[in-house]
Amino acid sequence: MEKVKDALDFTDFSGVERFVLVVFSIFLLAFPWLGAGSFVKAVMIQFLLFSLFGMGWNTIGGYGGQVELGKAQYVGIGAYTVSVSMVWWNIPFWISMPIGVLIALGYSFMIGYPLFRLKGHYFAIATICTSLVLQDIFTNWKLVGAAKGIELPIHEHPDFLYMQFKSDTYYYYFIMVLFYIALFYMNWFRKSKLGYQLRMIKDDEEAAESLGIDIRWCKIKAYSIASAFVAVGGGFMAVYNLYIDPVSVMDLDLSIKIALMAMLGGAASLWGPIIGAAFLVPLDRFLGSWLGGHKGLIGVDFMIYAALIMVVSAYQPRGIWGIVEQLRGKGK
Amino acid sequence: MSRKQILFVFVLFLSMVTMSSALFAAEKEVKIGVLYPLSGAAATIGRDLQRAAELTAEIINNKTPGVDIPMAQWGGIPNLGGAKIKLIFVDHRGEPDRGADLAKRLILDDKVAGLMGAYHSSVTKTVSAVAERYGVPMINDSSTSPELTKRGFKWFWRTTPHDDYFNRDLFELLKGLTEGKVKGIPAVPKDKLKNLAYACENTEWGSSVAKSLEGYAKEYGFNMVKGILYNANSPDLTSEAKTLVAAKPDGMLFASYLSDSLLMIRTLKGMRAQTNFFWGQNAGFEMADFAKTLGADINGVLTRTVFIAKLIKVKKVAGQINALYKKKYGDDLTGATARSVVGVQAWAAVLNKAGSVDPKAIQKACNEINIPANELVMPWAGVKFDSTGQNVLGRGLIGQYQKGADGKIDLEIVYPFDLATANFIYPFPGWK
Repeated sequence: MEKVKDALDFTDFSGVERFVLVVFSIFLLAFPWLGAGSFVKAVMIQFLLFSLFGMGWNTIGGYGGQVELGKAQYVGIGAYTVSVSMVWWNIPFWISMPIGVLIALGYSFMIGYPLFRLKGHYFAIATICTSLVLQDIFTNWKLVGAAKGIELPIHEHPDFLYMQFKSDTYYYYFIMVLFYIALFYMNWFRKSKLGYQLRMIKDDEEAAESLGIDIRWCKIKAYSIASAFVAVGGGFMAVYNLYIDPVSVMDLDLSIKIALMAMLGGAASLWGPIIGAAFLVPLDRFLGSWLGGHKGLIGVDFMIYAALIMVVSAYQPRGIWGIVEQLRGKGK
Repeated sequence: MSRKQILFVFVLFLSMVTMSSALFAAEKEVKIGVLYPLSGAAATIGRDLQRAAELTAEIINNKTPGVDIPMAQWGGIPNLGGAKIKLIFVDHRGEPDRGADLAKRLILDDKVAGLMGAYHSSVTKTVSAVAERYGVPMINDSSTSPELTKRGFKWFWRTTPHDDYFNRDLFELLKGLTEGKVKGIPAVPKDKLKNLAYACENTEWGSSVAKSLEGYAKEYGFNMVKGILYNANSPDLTSEAKTLVAAKPDGMLFASYLSDSLLMIRTLKGMRAQTNFFWGQNAGFEMADFAKTLGADINGVLTRTVFIAKLIKVKKVAGQINALYKKKYGDDLTGATARSVVGVQAWAAVLNKAGSVDPKAIQKACNEINIPANELVMPWAGVKFDSTGQNVLGRGLIGQYQKGADGKIDLEIVYPFDLATANFIYPFPGWK
């Protein structure tokens, strides 16, 4: 009970922040009724999905300060578990998704245990490697479709058990619920014992160790939490796109996008990953859609996208949230 | 330029913009959403596909003299009151999830009558799933994964033959070789051709080509002595090439994209690899850059395709449309771009037959359509879909790169035998 109260308690944020959160929540709830087109809706779904990924990454990457670039492998585990169990055994989404999360958790312990002997760049490189190895295994694993991937059967009628809807509105509300669960969890997490321990580790590992914190265990726990988050997102991707292959759910690009959005928005803050996703997802999708089909403008969207990322990161390494705090005179 | 001149040009430009939009608004149009990879790794091919599709829409929308097909004299879709075809292009970058999102945009926001695309088989998978869900017709012009038409979809049709057809073509050619049917050379004893080896790239496309090649080898009584799958992004293919050479096959078969096909041929050349023939399953082997980069080295190399510029010798329409394309963009049509042409042609014919943009009417028209051979740029027997949505009248070509008298490398047709434009070079003449 105490934990739930903590999760719902936003009182340590300033009035402005709480006001924005309320307005933003009302907007999210009302969004499907505002008459936006389906493409805008699809972009909103991507935004919520990447916020979810980013918040997960934020536990280990932001609060823990460990640069982690291998989250795609857990997206893949979540997506493949849902797809394989639906195609082979006709298991509903609501059962296969938790199983996927459990597998991701188990796998993350297996990977995390040896990996956290490494620090800094070496750790970052190792996370990339494990993810690439898993992608290669799935690319060659005939049972799960190898490079061809898996197609989910399309149900003729909407089916809540299998999360198949004709209208994106249902998917929208589903991912929105996941988004809020993640947000409340992160709000609790940052005030939890583990959250404080991680920030201590980030600032000074030796000092943390001298205070009796089991550094490696803390990191593994945070890493696993992050993995569980993205595995949920992976499961959602499978039922939403109805087709997955090793490239679309396990690629290095995806890992980098997840880390990039959280870092650009502002790592180690509650709002950072959400702001990052709100900035980069629409930028990427809209620019691509507006400029992508016009002759002479092809590729311009990439330039704008890249230039904005460079400008933000050069101006304020703590990301967009860092800029906001600086403007409000709270720059620390 | 003086300020007055600039002002004049500006006003002229403005008036043209307003005029043209006013003109367009007065015309009826049918919107077709086209998904192609316009940026990213396949950007070059996407650009060419877009050009070919646009040109075809122009030919159909305006009465085009000098193109001898009824469609070119329509000036719009006759049964839709002369409505013009408007193609809305979007860029999926080869990403399946982006393709699906864009398909939703096209269907729900742009309210297109149907979809076309998407080149990458993986993107076509998600896009067609969206189309199926919303009950919007999709005509696929250029994805060759055989599975696409084996899913029981009701809103998906494919004009191009798929990889199974192309792989069978190769074995028909080999069989023809042993029977003396090939232009310009006597029958080759089968034991000189019996042992084959392949190297295919290891994603969806290459691995399914490999599987199908093994199946056909068995069916036609050939031996597959070695088969390897490799990573198309690999910076070095020496060990793969060595494995192929060590197997001492009578022929080497490839499914490669562009950069890896160049690397493979160069590595094999470095090893002075000896074999009777090389065959590539389209993609890299068919791109203009393949011939431009490797030059005389590929004299005698075979590739599967669906369109070769030499077709204009035997097919008038192909020559006329190719001439328009070449005049506008400077290149000949290729297998990929000619398929875009047929895609738009199929859409025009279907819309005309349906006489409506109602999805049900279009569905019915697709299932009943029969476009005769003489209206297509392709050497096909026409366009007619079976119950799975696959065009059963399509066929592939096998081309051979040959060095002409002027020293230039040209792609000649060697299969089907009745279309052959040159004598077959056999065995592979060796490296220069």
